[in-house]
Amino acid sequence: MPFTRRTKVAAALAGATSIALLATGCSAGGGGSESGEIELTITTFGTMGFDDLYKQYEEENPGIKITANNIDTGGNARTDAFTKLAAGSGLSDVVAIEEGWLGSIMEVSDQFVDLRDFGIEDRKGDWVDWKYEQVTDADGRVIGYGTDIGPEGLCYNGAAFEAAGLPRDREAVAELFGGENASWERYFELGKQYNEATGKAWYDHSGFVWNAMVNQLDEGYYTADGELNVEGNAELEERFGWIADGAESGLSAAQTAWDWNGGKSFVDGTFATFVCPGWMLGVVEGQIEAGGGDASTGWDFADVFPGGAANWGGSWLSVPTSSQHQEEAAALASWLSEPEQQVAAFEAAGPFPSTVDAQETLASEGEPEEFFNGAPTGQILAERAKGVKAQFKGPDDSVIQENVFGPALQSLDRGEANGDQAWQKALDLLNELVVE
Amino acid sequence: MTSTISRPAAPARQPEERKPSRGRSDLTFRQRLGRFDVKASPYLYISPFFITFAVIGLFPLVYTLWVSLHEWQLLQGQGAFVGFDNFTAVLQDRFFWNSIFNTFSIFLLSSVPQIAVALLIAAVLDQNLKAKTFWRMSVLLPYVVAPVAVALIFSSMFGEQDGLVNNLLGLIGIDPIQWKHDTLASHVAIATMVNWRWTGYNALILLAAMQAIPRDLYESAAIDGAGSTRRFFSITIPSIRPTLIFVIITATIGGLQIFAEPRLFDAASAGGLGGADRQFQTTVLYLWEMAFFRQNFGEAAAIAWLLFILIVAFGLINFLLSRRIASGEARAIKRRSGKRLEAHRVSQGLVGEAAGVDGQEKS
Repeated sequence: MPFTRRTKVAAALAGATSIALLATGCSAGGGGSESGEIELTITTFGTMGFDDLYKQYEEENPGIKITANNIDTGGNARTDAFTKLAAGSGLSDVVAIEEGWLGSIMEVSDQFVDLRDFGIEDRKGDWVDWKYEQVTDADGRVIGYGTDIGPEGLCYNGAAFEAAGLPRDREAVAELFGGENASWERYFELGKQYNEATGKAWYDHSGFVWNAMVNQLDEGYYTADGELNVEGNAELEERFGWIADGAESGLSAAQTAWDWNGGKSFVDGTFATFVCPGWMLGVVEGQIEAGGGDASTGWDFADVFPGGAANWGGSWLSVPTSSQHQEEAAALASWLSEPEQQVAAFEAAGPFPSTVDAQETLASEGEPEEFFNGAPTGQILAERAKGVKAQFKGPDDSVIQENVFGPALQSLDRGEANGDQAWQKALDLLNELVVE
Repeated sequence: MTSTISRPAAPARQPEERKPSRGRSDLTFRQRLGRFDVKASPYLYISPFFITFAVIGLFPLVYTLWVSLHEWQLLQGQGAFVGFDNFTAVLQDRFFWNSIFNTFSIFLLSSVPQIAVALLIAAVLDQNLKAKTFWRMSVLLPYVVAPVAVALIFSSMFGEQDGLVNNLLGLIGIDPIQWKHDTLASHVAIATMVNWRWTGYNALILLAAMQAIPRDLYESAAIDGAGSTRRFFSITIPSIRPTLIFVIITATIGGLQIFAEPRLFDAASAGGLGGADRQFQTTVLYLWEMAFFRQNFGEAAAIAWLLFILIVAFGLINFLLSRRIASGEARAIKRRSGKRLEAHRVSQGLVGEAAGVDGQEKS
C-alpha cells in the first residue's frame, strides 16, 4: 500500500498521540499548589453527606482547595485504602475509615498521623467514649476523628404492611414489634404471619439480618481480647438457627446486597422490612430512586429494633503520614467531625453523629424526613443510639462477614443448604480463609 | 499486546552525542568507531524496548519471586523467609484449583469460538464488499469500549431477576437462567463478554494477513476447479499460518489472565470475588483476593508465579500444536494431491467433486 498524504498524516497523529500518552501516563498525583493554594484530597465512601460542607470550608478558609473522591461502598473503600497503604503512596490527605476494617488499620496505626499532635485531646469530650477509644492504639496514639455511628432502627414498607393487615403507623409498628422488649423471636413470628398473608418475603436477604444480630452481641466474631470467637460460640449458633428457620419459611427475598435488582426490589414490594443504621437511610433513598420509586413507595422508619440496641458501622476521618499537608488535613478532618457539621451531614445524607452535642441537637430538633413518610429520623436514631456500644472488630472481621458467612447465608437463602449444612460451610470457610 | 505498542521510536540523538566527546580522535580510531557504529547501533536502536521491559517486566517478575519466598503481609510488609511454603500452601488450596478450572473453562469457551468466528468474519471481509471500511470499523467497535463498561453492561444484561437475556429467553418459554450462580452459565456469560470484545480485533488481524495472500493463487485454484471452501482451507489457512499462531498465542495469554469481567460481573456479592461460591473466580481474581482481600502477599506472589509458569507452558504447547496442525495440514495436502494426481490420471473430470468432498471433511 503506497503512503498517501492522508495516511501519513494519520500515522503522524497516531505516533504523536502514543508519545503523548506515554508522557502523561506518569504525571498523575502530587498536590498542585498554584499561587500558594493548598489542595487537600479526601476519600470517602457511601453517603457521608459532606458535599456541601466542602464548599463551606473552602469559602471560610481561603487558600484551601478540596478535591473529593467518593467510593460507592465501604468494601471498595477498604480495597482502595489497603492497596495504597501497601504501595506506600496514593492515599488522600484525609481518608475515611470504616469500622468493619478498622481492625486491619489499627495493626498499622503508625502509618497514620497521631492526631494528638493536632489537638484531638481537647475534643475528646465531644464524642461518645467508645468512639474515641476505638481509634486509640496500644501506644495511646489516636488516629481518627469520629464522624458517624450506626445505631439501627427498622425500615419498613408501610404500604406493604397495610396490605398484609398490619398497622401502618410507625408508633403502632414499634409497639407491634414489642417496643422496648422487641426480640428476634417476635420479628420472625411477625415475618411468618406476613408471609402467610401475602406470600412475600419479610426481609431482603439473610446477610444484613445476621450482621445486625452479630453486631448486637457484646463480642462478635472476635472476643474483646482479639481471639477468634466463632467455632463453638453458642450465641452465634443459636442466631444462625433463627436465620436458617427464617430462610426455610420463605422470609428472605434472597437479594444480592448493594444491588437489590437495581433498586427495583425496594419498590415492587419484594420485601417489607429492612435493617437500617443511620447511614443506610441514604442508601435506601438512593436505591428507591434508582428503582423508579419515591416517597410514595411507602418506606417508613420505626423506633424499634429486634434484640435491643445495635450498632452497625460508623466511620472516622484519618490523616495518613504520607500526606504533604498534615496540619491542614487534620484541621479539615477535625472541622468535618465537629457537632455542627455532623448535624449538617446527617440532614444531607443520614449518617448519625458520633458527637454528644450533635446527638442532643437531633434528639430535640430533628426535622421530619419527607422521604420516609415524615419520620423524625434524627429523634428516632438518637433514641436507638441509647445503650449502643460498638464491639471489638478483629483484623479479619470484614472477611468473615463477607466471605465466610456471606456464602453460607446465601446458600440458605437459595435453599441449597439447611441450617446445619450452612453453619458447617461457614466453619469450613473460616478455617480455610482465616485460620489456616 | 503491550509489546506492539510500547516500542517507542529509537532515540535519534545517539550519533550526535558521541561526536563532540571523541571529535579529536584520529582517522583509524574513527574507522574503528565507524565499525563499532555499524555493529552496535542496531542494538542501541532496539534497546529502549528492552530497557523498558527490564524495568517494568523483568524486575517485577524477579521481585515477585522474592516476595513469594517470604511471609509477607499486605500492610505490615516483609516477614520471615519461608522458602517454598507459600507455593505448597497454594498448591494444596482447593480455591486455587477451583480458579484454575474456572480459568480454563472460560478460556476454552471464549478463545475457541472467538478464533473460529474471527476467521469466518475475516474471510467474509476479505471478499469484495461494498463500503469495506464501514464493515471493518464496525467489527472493531466493541474493542474500543473499555472492559469495565462492557462488564457493567453485560452484568446488567445477564441479571437474574430482570436482565435482558432472561427476559428474552422468557419470551420463548425458557426459565430464567441463574447467570450469576450456576457455574457453567456464568462461564458462558463471561465468555460472551470476552468474545464480544475480542472477536472483531482478531478478525482484523487475520484480515490483514489474508489481504497479503497473492490473488493469483486463488485465481489459479479457481481455474483448477477448487470451490470457495476448498480455497479457504487449502490456500487461506496455510497462508496466514504465522498470523494465526500469533492470534492463538495472544488469545491464550489474554484468556488465562481474565480479570475485569469476572471481577465486575457480580461485583455486589461477596466483595466481587467471582461469585458467592467462587463459581467464576479466575486465577487472577483469586490472586487479587489473596493479595488485597486476605492480605497475604506472599501467597499471592506464589499464585502469580504459578500462573506465569502455567501461561508459558500453555503458550508453548499451543505454539507447538498450532504449528503441527498447520504443517500437518500441508503434509496431508501433499499426500492428498499426490493421490488425486493419480486419480486424475485414471479418470479425468472427477477432480472438482473430490475437492469439494475434501473441503467438507475438514470443516
